[in-house]
Amino acid sequence: MRGKMRAKKIKETNPMSVKKGEAVFCYCIMLIICLIALFPILWVFISSFKADLLAEPGFSLPSSIHADGYVRVFTKLGIGTYFMNSFICATLGTMISITMLSMAAYVVARFKFPGRGLITAAFMATMFVPPSALTFPIYNLVKRFNLFNTRTGLVFVYACIGIAISFMVIRNYFAIIPTELDEAARIDGCTYWQNFARVILPIARPGIMTAAILNWLQLWNEFYWSSLLIIDRSKMTVPAILSQFTTSFRTDYNGLLSAIVVIIIPPIVIFCLFSKYFIEALSGGAVKG
Amino acid sequence: MKRKFNRNLFILLFLIPSCLCLLVFYIYPIAQILITSFYKWDYTNLANPEILPAGERLSNYKYIFTQYPYFWEALKNSLCWALVGIFIQVPLTLVVAIVISKGLKFSRFARNVYIVPSVISSAAMGLIFLQLYNARYGPIQQIINIFKPDFRDSILLVEGVNFWAIVFAYVFFCGTTTIMLLGQIHGIAPELYEAAMIDGAKGWKRELYITIPLVKPTIKTVTTLAGTAGFLIYNEVFFLTNGAAGTKSISFIIRELAITSPRTQYARANTIGVVQIAIGLVLIAIINWVFSHDKYSLRGKRKG
Repeated sequence: MRGKMRAKKIKETNPMSVKKGEAVFCYCIMLIICLIALFPILWVFISSFKADLLAEPGFSLPSSIHADGYVRVFTKLGIGTYFMNSFICATLGTMISITMLSMAAYVVARFKFPGRGLITAAFMATMFVPPSALTFPIYNLVKRFNLFNTRTGLVFVYACIGIAISFMVIRNYFAIIPTELDEAARIDGCTYWQNFARVILPIARPGIMTAAILNWLQLWNEFYWSSLLIIDRSKMTVPAILSQFTTSFRTDYNGLLSAIVVIIIPPIVIFCLFSKYFIEALSGGAVKG
Repeated sequence: MKRKFNRNLFILLFLIPSCLCLLVFYIYPIAQILITSFYKWDYTNLANPEILPAGERLSNYKYIFTQYPYFWEALKNSLCWALVGIFIQVPLTLVVAIVISKGLKFSRFARNVYIVPSVISSAAMGLIFLQLYNARYGPIQQIINIFKPDFRDSILLVEGVNFWAIVFAYVFFCGTTTIMLLGQIHGIAPELYEAAMIDGAKGWKRELYITIPLVKPTIKTVTTLAGTAGFLIYNEVFFLTNGAAGTKSISFIIRELAITSPRTQYARANTIGVVQIAIGLVLIAIINWVFSHDKYSLRGKRKG
C-alpha cells in the first residue's frame, strides 16, 4: 500500500512522466500516422489480389484470392532484370561515392592545410544545387562521353549526387576519433596510407556504413536521372520502369498492382534489416552542419 | 622534409577524386547554365551555340518572364508546394516527433511504421497514389462519391483540386525528418525538464518553452529540407498529372524545355535553371533570417 503511494508520488514528480489526457492524445496521433503511412501500401497490397479491380473497386475486399498478377510480374514482365539493374547501379554508385568521399572527408577532418575550409564549404554547397537546374549540362556531358543510354553513365551520375549528406556523416565520424591514435601509429612507423587504411578506417567503419546505407537507399529510389539517361527497357532501373507501367499493363490492373507490391518490398526489407543504422544516421549528429 | 612532402602528396591524392567530381558535376554545369543563359542555343544549333548580340543579351530571361506560357504557373505551383512543405509538413513533423519522444508503449512501432513510406521511392508512391485517385476503381473516388454522387471525372484533371491531390501524395510522408528531430529531442537533458516543472511549465507549455527552442537548429534544417523539396518537386507531378491542368512545376518545365519537347530550347532551359537556383537560395536565406529573428530564440535575443 505504502509502496504503491510512493510509486505514485515518484511518478508525479518525474518530469518525463505523461499525464493521462496527454497519453490519449499521443495514442490518437500515433494511430493516425500509422493509418496514413500504411493505408496506401495496404490498399495496393489487398487490391493486388482482386481478379477484376473494376468489378470490385475502392475499399471492397477481394472476393477470392487471385495471385496470377504476381506470376506475370516475374514471367511476362521479367522484373528480375530491373532489380538487377537497380542493384548494380545503386551499389556501384554508392561504392564509388563513399570511397571518394571517405578519402576527402578523412583529410579534411584530420589534417590542417590551406583551402580546407573552402573544400568543406564546396561540399556543403552542393546540397543547395537542385539537380533539375543542371538537367541539360549533365545530359549533354553524359552524351558527349558516349555514355548516354548506358548503365555506366548512370553510375557516373549516381556517384556524384547526394554527396553533401554522405560527406557530412563521414567527416563527423572521422572528426571524433582521438588524434592520439595518429601519433601512436606514426611512432610505430606507419605511413600516411597505412595509418588511414589500418588504423582509422576500421574505427570509422560504422559511420561509413551509415552513410553508405543512406546513400544506397537514395540511389535505389532515384527516378529523375534514371528516367532521363536510359532509354532501352532492358537497361532501366526499377523506379524508371514504373513510368512505363501505365502503358505496358494497359488494362491488366491485377498485374500492375502486383508489380507495385513487388517493387516496394525490397526497400522495406532493407529498412527492417538496417533500421538501426538508418535511424542512428538520421538522429545522430549527422544532420548538424 | 620528406615526411612533409609525403604528407602534402597524400592530402592531394586523397582530394583529387572528389574534387574532380565537384568540378565535373557541379562547378562546370553551373558555369555552363550561367553562361549559356546569355546564348542562343536550341534544337536548330545544338553543335554551335552562339552568344546573343549585345543589345539582346537578356532576351532569354525576357522570353521566360514575359512570353513562355508556363513559367508563372510553374513558379506559383513550386512556391506553393514549398510553402505547403514549410507550413504543413514542418508542424506535422514536429508534432509527430514530440508525440513519439514521450516513449509510450508502441511508440517505437509507430515510429518504424511511419518511416516505411519514406524509404519507398517517391516514384512508386506517385504510382500508388495514381491508383488511389483513379476515377474508376480508386478508393478516393468512392469517398468523393459519398458527397458528390454524380462526380465521374478524375480529380487529377480538376484544376485547383489537383494541386492538393499532389500535395497529399507526399506531405504526410516525412519519416526521415521526423527521425532527425526525434534524435535531437532525445538528446535534451532531463534536468532541463525538471527545472521547467519547478518553474510551473507543464504539458504543452513544456514543449513550447523547452523542447521547441532547444531543437530549433534542427527545426531550421527540417524547414530548409521541406521547403526546398517542395520547391523542387518533379516525380509527383510526372506520375500524377504529367503537368496537365495547371500543375507544372519549375523542375518539370526545365526538363520539358531541355529534353522532352520536340523543339528543345537548351539555353532557355538553362535560364530557368539559373532562376531556380537563385530563388532556391533566396528561399533558404529567408528561412535562415526568420529563424534568427523569432521570439522563441534562446540565443538570438542576446545577439539582437
